[in-house]
Amino acid sequence: MDRHDGFREFVLARRQSLTRTAYLLTGDAHLAEDLLQSVLINVVGQWPKLSANGNPEAYTRKALVNQYISWRRRLRREWPSADPPEHGVSYDEESVDRIVLRQALAKLTRKQRAVIVLRFWEDLTEAQTAEALGCSVGNVKSQTHRALARLRTLAPELTDSRSLSEFQEVAP
Amino acid sequence: MTRLRRALSGIAEEAPAVDLNGLVDLAVAGHRRKRRASALLAAVATVATVAATGTVTAALVPSRSPQPAAPRQAEAVPDLPAGDVGPLDYAYETPCKVDGERRHLDCSVAGWRVVTHTGRTYRLRQALARTAQNNQAPIAISRDGRMLAYYSPQAQAHVVRDLVSGSQVTSPVRLKETRIGPGSMLVLSDDGRHLMFDPREGSKDPGLLIDMRTGKTVEVSGKYEAVSVRNGVAELVRYRKTDLWLMPVTGGSKPVRFKGTFMGFSELAPDGRTVAAFERNDDTMSDWVQEMRTLTLLDTRTGRERAKVPIRGLPKGQPVWITGLWRSGSELTVWIEEASTRAYRVDTRTGRARLLADHPKTRLVLPGLASS
Repeated sequence: MDRHDGFREFVLARRQSLTRTAYLLTGDAHLAEDLLQSVLINVVGQWPKLSANGNPEAYTRKALVNQYISWRRRLRREWPSADPPEHGVSYDEESVDRIVLRQALAKLTRKQRAVIVLRFWEDLTEAQTAEALGCSVGNVKSQTHRALARLRTLAPELTDSRSLSEFQEVAP
Repeated sequence: MTRLRRALSGIAEEAPAVDLNGLVDLAVAGHRRKRRASALLAAVATVATVAATGTVTAALVPSRSPQPAAPRQAEAVPDLPAGDVGPLDYAYETPCKVDGERRHLDCSVAGWRVVTHTGRTYRLRQALARTAQNNQAPIAISRDGRMLAYYSPQAQAHVVRDLVSGSQVTSPVRLKETRIGPGSMLVLSDDGRHLMFDPREGSKDPGLLIDMRTGKTVEVSGKYEAVSVRNGVAELVRYRKTDLWLMPVTGGSKPVRFKGTFMGFSELAPDGRTVAAFERNDDTMSDWVQEMRTLTLLDTRTGRERAKVPIRGLPKGQPVWITGLWRSGSELTVWIEEASTRAYRVDTRTGRARLLADHPKTRLVLPGLASS
């Protein structure tokens, strides 16, 4: 029995969730992998403590979002990877929604993007989101408000007022 | 489920398959090596994916045929010898090798490689590539390729080596390896005398402009990021407000503020007052690709916009990734990423772009600009 088996099992059991969260945060396959890699190095270092009396899932999530937020702000490879719809090519509504949202997410600040991912993808409460981000619940509220307002501006075809109000209502 | 939530789920489902087994192996191997405090651990966390992400700092490359140069296999690469090896063309980082079947990780080949103008490749063993915390430790090359700066774990300081005379200078400023944080940056002046070290780009942690000759340092606010150091002036940008500060290497002077949000700044043009950048309009869902294909020439004395130059001749749909060096008063290098990392020279009077050079898509360091 390898002492890292627990860590290995933990990661592999959550492979889909971890990969998707990293991908939603970065919007780029390579960056997501890079982010995961650097976070897993940190997690394995903390594993004895985490597996004994910690919450590995919360720690990993926290490490993911904070590593993402702390990455350099300078624009390099962080452009949205999806091309805008081509004229004359028909897409179904859901495909267009994904492209539009992907582009809109790329225009949010990192913290706003992280809030959207945590609240509406991970379905965390405001308190859990605050814990993950290491900020106050009030800050989560204001970041969420700003992020949604920005999405409303950036993707009006996607975020009609009815849809957004639903969006806010269903959020825990 | 709302339309937004559905779209968010749709994007998540598009997440590509990641070899988490491989990542776990790398993480465990990295941790083991870290515990052993081996000098090699710096490179352990270097993954094949890192090479693929192409965390590149762009700069001007001397004209070469636009053929992608594949990084050489590490086994055959000799160490950088002392003495005259000639100016560098570029440098790149080699990741650890992963044998998925045997679940084996070989980091003996990981680290920095440098490639000379004449095409010879050398391994740069003395330079740190990754810290124990898995932060990338950048190296930097001067504009003419003659000077090379790197962090030496042995000296616990940066070293600048003249690749023609063979001489080298160790920074009088000792810095612990732990000072190299995530997104650390390094900029080397044209003459190799000044080195700008930013421990963590985009953080409040201040940067340090080091005079390699005297050991004098100037602390630079963490709000600013270095673009270049040239002719005794450090070009610094504050992205939040888009302020540009042409700070003398001894400190002083004041930044100029541009009206609007700009990114991807070039170095100062040969006229000593113009810089090129890309204006970003975050308030509308405008065509961001086109924004990143339209240069704005800015006057650093007045803060005013001098011209907007849509670039023609780039591959369709490809945004410019970063600006490189000025080749002349009217010709700027820009970089895009396709299957390879491609440099184009752009005539800033007409916007016409022509292919200049081609490099493999990896963590490249090219002469003249900031490296991270």
